[in-house]
Amino acid sequence: MSTPDPSHTSPTSIADDETRLDVAGRSTPLCDSRERVSGKLEFVEDLRFPGMLCGKFLRSPHAHARIVSVDVTAAREILGVHAIITGKDTTRRYGVLPIGQDETAIAVDKVRYVGQEVAAVAAVDEEAAERAIEAIDVEYEVLPSYVDAQSALDADGPPIHEDRPRNIEKEYHHVFGDPEAGFEEAKVVVEDTFFHPRVTHAAIEPHGTIARYDGAGRYTLWSATQAPRHVQRGVAKALDVAESSIRVIPTAVGGGFGGKSEAFPQDVASALLARITGRPIRFVLSREEVFFLHRGRPESHVRMRLGMAADGRVTAVGCETIQDGGAFCSYGVVTILYSGALIAAIYDLKNIRFDGYRVITNKPACGPMRGHGTIGSRHAFEVLFDRAAVALDLDPLQARTRNLLHPGARTVNDLRITSYGYPECLTRVAEASDWRSKRGKLPRGRGIGLGSSHYVSGASNSILRGKFPHTTVVLQCERDGSVKLFTGAVDLGQGSDTAQAIVVGQALGLDAGQVQVIAGDTGLTPVDLGTYASRVTFMAGNAALEAARRMAAKILARVARDVGIFEDELELRAENVVSRRDGRVLLSFTEAVRLCVQDEGALVTKGSYWPPSDARGGKFRGGGVGPGVSYSYAVQAVEVEVDEETGEVSIERIWAAHDCGRALNPLAVRGQIEGSVWMGLAQAISEEQQFTDDGRCLNARLLEYKMPTTVDSPAIESIIVESRDPEGPFGAKEVGEGSLGAIIPALTNAIYDAVGVWICDLPITPERVLAALAERDDASAPRRRPRQPTVPRHEGSSTPQTLDDLTR
Amino acid sequence: MKTLPPFHLHRPKSLEEATRALAEHAGECRVIAGGTDLVVNLRDRIDIPEHVVSVGAIDELQGIDRDPASSLRLGALSTIREISMHRDIRKRFPVLARAAESVSGPTLRAMGTLGGNLCLDTRCHWFNQSFEWRRGCGFCLKKDGDICHVAKSSSICVATSCGDLAPALLTLGATVTLVSARGSRELALDEFYVDDGTHKFVLEPDEILTEVRVPAAAAGRRGFFGKLRARAAIDYPLASVAVSGSIDGEGRFENTSIALSAIGPRPVLLDAVSELVNGRAADEETIRGAAEIVYRAANPLKTGGLYSPGYRRLRTRLYARDGLREIAGLKVDERP
Repeated sequence: MSTPDPSHTSPTSIADDETRLDVAGRSTPLCDSRERVSGKLEFVEDLRFPGMLCGKFLRSPHAHARIVSVDVTAAREILGVHAIITGKDTTRRYGVLPIGQDETAIAVDKVRYVGQEVAAVAAVDEEAAERAIEAIDVEYEVLPSYVDAQSALDADGPPIHEDRPRNIEKEYHHVFGDPEAGFEEAKVVVEDTFFHPRVTHAAIEPHGTIARYDGAGRYTLWSATQAPRHVQRGVAKALDVAESSIRVIPTAVGGGFGGKSEAFPQDVASALLARITGRPIRFVLSREEVFFLHRGRPESHVRMRLGMAADGRVTAVGCETIQDGGAFCSYGVVTILYSGALIAAIYDLKNIRFDGYRVITNKPACGPMRGHGTIGSRHAFEVLFDRAAVALDLDPLQARTRNLLHPGARTVNDLRITSYGYPECLTRVAEASDWRSKRGKLPRGRGIGLGSSHYVSGASNSILRGKFPHTTVVLQCERDGSVKLFTGAVDLGQGSDTAQAIVVGQALGLDAGQVQVIAGDTGLTPVDLGTYASRVTFMAGNAALEAARRMAAKILARVARDVGIFEDELELRAENVVSRRDGRVLLSFTEAVRLCVQDEGALVTKGSYWPPSDARGGKFRGGGVGPGVSYSYAVQAVEVEVDEETGEVSIERIWAAHDCGRALNPLAVRGQIEGSVWMGLAQAISEEQQFTDDGRCLNARLLEYKMPTTVDSPAIESIIVESRDPEGPFGAKEVGEGSLGAIIPALTNAIYDAVGVWICDLPITPERVLAALAERDDASAPRRRPRQPTVPRHEGSSTPQTLDDLTR
Repeated sequence: MKTLPPFHLHRPKSLEEATRALAEHAGECRVIAGGTDLVVNLRDRIDIPEHVVSVGAIDELQGIDRDPASSLRLGALSTIREISMHRDIRKRFPVLARAAESVSGPTLRAMGTLGGNLCLDTRCHWFNQSFEWRRGCGFCLKKDGDICHVAKSSSICVATSCGDLAPALLTLGATVTLVSARGSRELALDEFYVDDGTHKFVLEPDEILTEVRVPAAAAGRRGFFGKLRARAAIDYPLASVAVSGSIDGEGRFENTSIALSAIGPRPVLLDAVSELVNGRAADEETIRGAAEIVYRAANPLKTGGLYSPGYRRLRTRLYARDGLREIAGLKVDERP
C-alpha cells in the first residue's frame, strides 16, 4: 500500500464548492430528446446512399468445427450479387484488448460458436443477399464442443484456441493482507456459491454499419457504436491500413449498455466489401444476430467465503469466480479482473483472496455490460454479509456502518478513494424506507432487504498504451455567439452530450441549449476512448470544463483590454460579460466573442484529461485493471411480498440512493438510477439465455428472452446523494452503472426477511423460491442447484489455485 | 428472420370471392387478417404458402352483435382489442373479456383478430426459430424434419397451443362457423381442435373460419382467467385456465366449466370438472376435487419458456381453485 503523493494529483482537479451553480444542477431535458421521441433521429437503419448494397453474413450452424472448404461459385452467379468474401480474405486478427487479438471478421479455418461469420455477401437487396447465402456450400468437420465452463475445463479434445490449451483465457490469483489470519479472527464464517446465467444488453437498436470507400484509400463508416476510436483501430488493423484512412461517424445510438464498445465483423466486412465493389455497403443485424454478437455478461459461478467479527467488521473475504466467457476474449480479461479488484472498493476490507478464471467455451463471446464485472461479486458479498450479520444477530444496515472507508483512503489493493457518499446513501435509504420499523418486523411473507453497489467513474488506465490523455474536448465560438463543442465521446441516449453542454454552459454563463455538441466523428473530433466504464461525464466533463475556462479567460482578457478593467474583475454570467464588483453588464457574450473573432479569427480552445498517476493502481499482475479515477456508491432497499404457494415475489417498492458526486442534470441522474435498478432487477428475476447441449441459443429473440416490460416495473424512489468529488467536474462522478448491482442482493435479502430462505442462483424464479421453501420445511428435500465448476490442477503448479487452499 | 418470401396476394372483397380463391389454391394458401402470427412465421420460413388471401376487407367477417336468440355473434375479424373493451362482453361474458385483455400488448391486440387467435399456430422453442437455426439441428417433426426434440419417442408433434381466447370460449360452449365454396358448417369449438401440433384443427384447406357464436345460455356467467407467464405483458401463456359458471339458489355450482390452454397441442375443455361440480355445493371440498382433476389433466412438456412443466402444472391447479372460488363468491383466504 502506497500513500498518495499530492504532487501527482490531477492537473485539472477541480474542487469547486465556491461556484454558485445555476446551469448545472438544473433538470435539463436531453438535447436530442425531441428528435428521439418523435422518431426523427437517424439510426443506421434509416440511412440510404446512392448505389448502396446490402451486406449479409453466412453463419456457422456448428459450435465447434473445422472449415474444410467454402465454395462460393454458385452464389456468385446469382443475379444481384456483387461480391462475396470468406475467411481467406480476412486473415488479419484484431481485438479490443492488446492481449486479446484473437478475432477475425470471418472465421478462418475453424468456427468456434453457433452463429459465427463464415462468409459475407454484398448484393443489390436483402432477397438477393439471402439467396446468395443459401447458395454458399461449406463443408465442416465437426469437433467436440464445450458449451459450459466445466466441459471446457475438462476438455481432452482440441482446444478452442491453439494458444490456450486449457481453454482458460486468463486466471488471476490475488492475495491482499492475510486472509487466513482474517478468517481466524472471525466470529462467524459463511460461505456459499452463487450462479449468474448469461444475460445480454438487449439494446432496442440492433447493431449496424454502413461503409463507403472513396477509391483512393479512404474509408468512411457510419456505425452504431459507443467507441468510434476502437472501431477505427480494429478495422484499420483488420484491413492493414493506417488508422487515419478510416473515418468513423457514429450515428444516433439506440442504446449500448456496453454491447457496442468495439470493432465488430460487420464493421470490417462492410469496409472490405465497399472496397471490392466500389459501392456503399450496409449491414443491419437481426435480433438473433445481435445475440450471436452478444458481448454481454458471462455465465458465472461465484463461490465466496466471508468472515465477520462479533461487532460486524468483515475480517476476511475469499472469492473464487469462474466465468464462461464464450469463444473470444473481447473485454474478458477486464471482466474477470473487475470482479476481483472491485470487491474492495465499498468497504474497508483488510484481507482478501481472489481466484478468478476466465474460461473459453463454444458460445458467443461475452464482454462489457453495464456494471461490468461487479455484479456477481456484489451479489455474493452483500448476501453473505447479511447472513453473517443474521448469524451474529446484528442489524445488516448497522453492521455495514462498521466497515466504512473514507475520502482519502487507499484500499488494500491500492484503489484510491476521493469521495465517499456511501454512509449518506445508507442513512437516506434507511430513512426513506423506514428500515428500522420494518426489517425483521413485517408480517410473514413480507420482507425488506438491503444491498449496496458501486462502480468506477472512469478507468484510470487506458486500453491503449502510452501517455496520451484519455480525452480531449475542443470548443469553438462563432461570430453569432454560438458555441460548438467537439468531443470524441458518443451519446448513447443517456445524456452525455447534454452533460458536456451543461458543464460548458455553466462555465461560460450560457444556457446549455446554446452549446452545440458535435460528438464522436473521428474525422472531426479529438480522441476519446469511448462511452464505457462510466467515464464520459467525469473525463470529457473535465476536459470540457478546462476548455471552457480557457475560453472564458480568453474572452475576458479581450474585453478587459477593450473596456479598461482588470480581467479578474469580470465574469461571464447570464449571456453577458458582467463586472464582479457591481454586477453591471458591460457587453453581451455575443459582442465579446465578436471582438475576439475580429482579432484572431476562429476562437478555439481545448481541454484534456489525464487520470492522475496516483490513481493508477498497484504494481502487481493485473493491478492496472480495476482502479477508477473515482467511485460512485449506491444503496438500495426493496420491500417484497412472497407468495409461499406460488413462489411469486411481488415488489412493492424500491428505494435507491446513488452518490453521483454532484448531479449536473438531476433529470438524467434519476433516469440513470431508475434504468440501472430496472436492468439489475431484470437479471434478478427473469433474464437468462438458454442453450441446447450443442450450443444453440434457445431464446435469441425478445419474445423469449424475458426482458421485463414497463408493465412489470415497480415503483422506484430515487435519492440523489452528492458527495462532491474533489476531482470531478463541479464535483460530479458517474451515475450510469453503479446502481445496477445493489438490487440483486437487496432482493435476495428481502426474500430472506420475508420467508427465511436464501436464494443465491439467478434468476429468482417462482420455482426457485418454491424449491427453497420446500428445503426450508423439509431438510431431507434439498433443492437442486447449479454446481460450482472444479478447475483441474495443472501439473507443476505449487501456488494455491482455489478457495479450497485457504485453511481456516 | 428473413425477408418475406414471395407469394401471390389475393384481396377479396367478399366471402364468396375469398372462398373461391381458397378452393382454387387449396393447400398452397394461407388466410391473413392482422398478420401478427403469420408474418413472423413467413419470415422464419415456418410457412411458405404460394398464395395469401387477405380477408381484411370482407364485411361478412366483421362485427360483434347480439343475434335474435340473444346470443353473441363475433365476426372472425373482430380484433382482440374490440373484444376486450366491448361493454356487453365485459358484462355478460367476463371470461372472454378477461382472456382478451391478457393477450400480448396494446399494439398486437389492436391488430390481432379473433379468427387469427383461434387459428394460431402451435408453438415450441425448437420450432419458432429462424430457418437457419432449425436447419442447424436437423429440423423437427412439425416441419421439414422427422424427429421431435422435445419428446424424442413421439411420432406426433407436441408443440403447444397458445391461444388465450379458445379456452375462454370453450367454457361458454361457443361454436365456430367454417365456410368454403362447398358450403358451410357449424361445429362446437371443442370439435374444432385436434390433439396434434402439426394438424391442429379440422379446418379443411379450402375453408375459412367466419364467425363464433356464444349461446344465450352462457350469458351472465361469472368468469375467471388465469394466465401464467414470466412478464405481465407480451408473453404467450405457459398455462392458462379459463373458468366460467354460476351458483344456483341452493348454493350449488351450475353451468360451471373449466378449460385449459398452453398445456398441450390443443386447448382442453374438462368435462370431468363440469360433471363433478355442477349440482354440488360450491364449497372448498368440491373445489379441491375439481382442482385435482385439472392438475391431473394438465401435463405440459418442455416446449419453451422460463418455467418447468412441473411448475406450469402446479399453477393450473391453483388457478382452477382460485377461479372456482371466484365463481362461488368465496373469499380467497388471506395469507398465513
